[in-house]
Order: sequence, then structure tokens, then C-alpha cells
Amino acid sequence: MARHPLLGYLVWVVLFGAIFAWEGLALARVTGVPTLSDVFRVIMRYPVGRWALFALWLWAGWHFFIRGWHFLLRA
Amino acid sequence: MASADVLALSLADRQALVPMAAGYLILMSALGFGLRRLYRPRGAPSGADTWPDRTRATPPDPGRRTGWAALVRRVAGTVVGGYLLLMAVVVAYYFGIARVGPGFLESAVTGTALLLGLAAPVFAALSWLAERRARDHAEPGEPGQAPQDCQGRGV
Repeated sequence: MARHPLLGYLVWVVLFGAIFAWEGLALARVTGVPTLSDVFRVIMRYPVGRWALFALWLWAGWHFFIRGWHFLLRA
Repeated sequence: MASADVLALSLADRQALVPMAAGYLILMSALGFGLRRLYRPRGAPSGADTWPDRTRATPPDPGRRTGWAALVRRVAGTVVGGYLLLMAVVVAYYFGIARVGPGFLESAVTGTALLLGLAAPVFAALSWLAERRARDHAEPGEPGQAPQDCQGRGV
């Protein structure tokens, strides 16, 4: 049970590290990699893309800040 | 040799791994689709994978309407569509993968509604500001954002 959270953290570190590396390369214009802003701007041109991104954002807010609380922050 | 017990996923693993892998796949697919669109503008031959000018890489939607009514419709569409999409995913997760608790669905519906109530006004205000800024930066003679093709030329 103790190794499970550590593995999870490692996976998240690798994923975020990859994203930051990608963005760093794009901003430094070392390669032809587009920035995340470029990519998200293209995705947001389409309604379904906007829905998906908004749903993802909503889920993150609910998961990290709201989940487990009662409606309207009742104790 | 690994036994079947080692390979079998526990309930906790399934609850964590399946949504995480699915979310990762969806996100990467969306990013891949965006990349494809960036590298291959509409109408370009399949061999023309040249990197477009950064300022012209993401032209505004052709035929995109401007003005208050269009902005409200766009914001409302995004908010409602995103909320419904999340609810569909949450319900599918609850009934299809794991029934994580009795308050899960209620928390999903009411918690995200609370977030929406807090964030939607801010989201609408920022969208309005962005729209106004884009209009202010439009070239004289262009009514808002003129329709453009993928290379940034007016059509």
C-alpha cells in the first residue's frame, strides 16, 4: 500500500515534466514544436473542443476544491 | 512468472487507473488533433507539412460573429456544453466503472453547479474583455474579425 502513492506521484512528475519540457522547447523555438497556447487555441475553435476543455477545468475544480463538501459549503 | 493475481487490477487500481488513462488518452488525442490542424492547414496537400507562421497559425473562426449576442451565445454554449459533457462522463463513470459512494453523484451535480455559479460571471467578463481587446486591435476597415483562410489571407 505504501508504494502505491509513490508510484502515482512519479507518474504525475513524469507527465508534468514532459509538458513543461514541451512548452520550454516551444518557447525557446529550438524545434518546430508549437506552444500549448497554439494547440489549445486551435482546439477551442470548435464547440466540442471548448466543451471538453471546460469540462476538464470544471472537473479539476470540483475534484480538488469541492468534492467531499456539502452544497453551499455547509459544514 | 507473474501470476494472474498480480496482473489483475484491484478496485482501487481500476478507480484510479482507468479514468486517468482515459483522460490522458482524450487529452493527448485532442492535442494531437490540434497539432495536425496546425501543421496541415485546410486544403493543403498531404505532403505540405510545413510549420506555419506563428502569428498566422490560428486564425479566427471563418464567419465567426461578433457582438454581444454572439458572445453571450458562445459563453452560454461553452458553459452548458461543458457542464453536460462532464455530467455525462461522471454518470458513465459511476454506473460503468465504480460506484464510489452514495454522495458521489450529488456532489458532482451540486459541486460543479456551485463552481459554475462562482466562475461563470468571471468567465463571461473575461471573455467580453478579450473580445473587446481583439476588436480594438483589428485593423481599420476590418469589421471586427474578418473571415480569413488558413494562411491568414482575407477571403
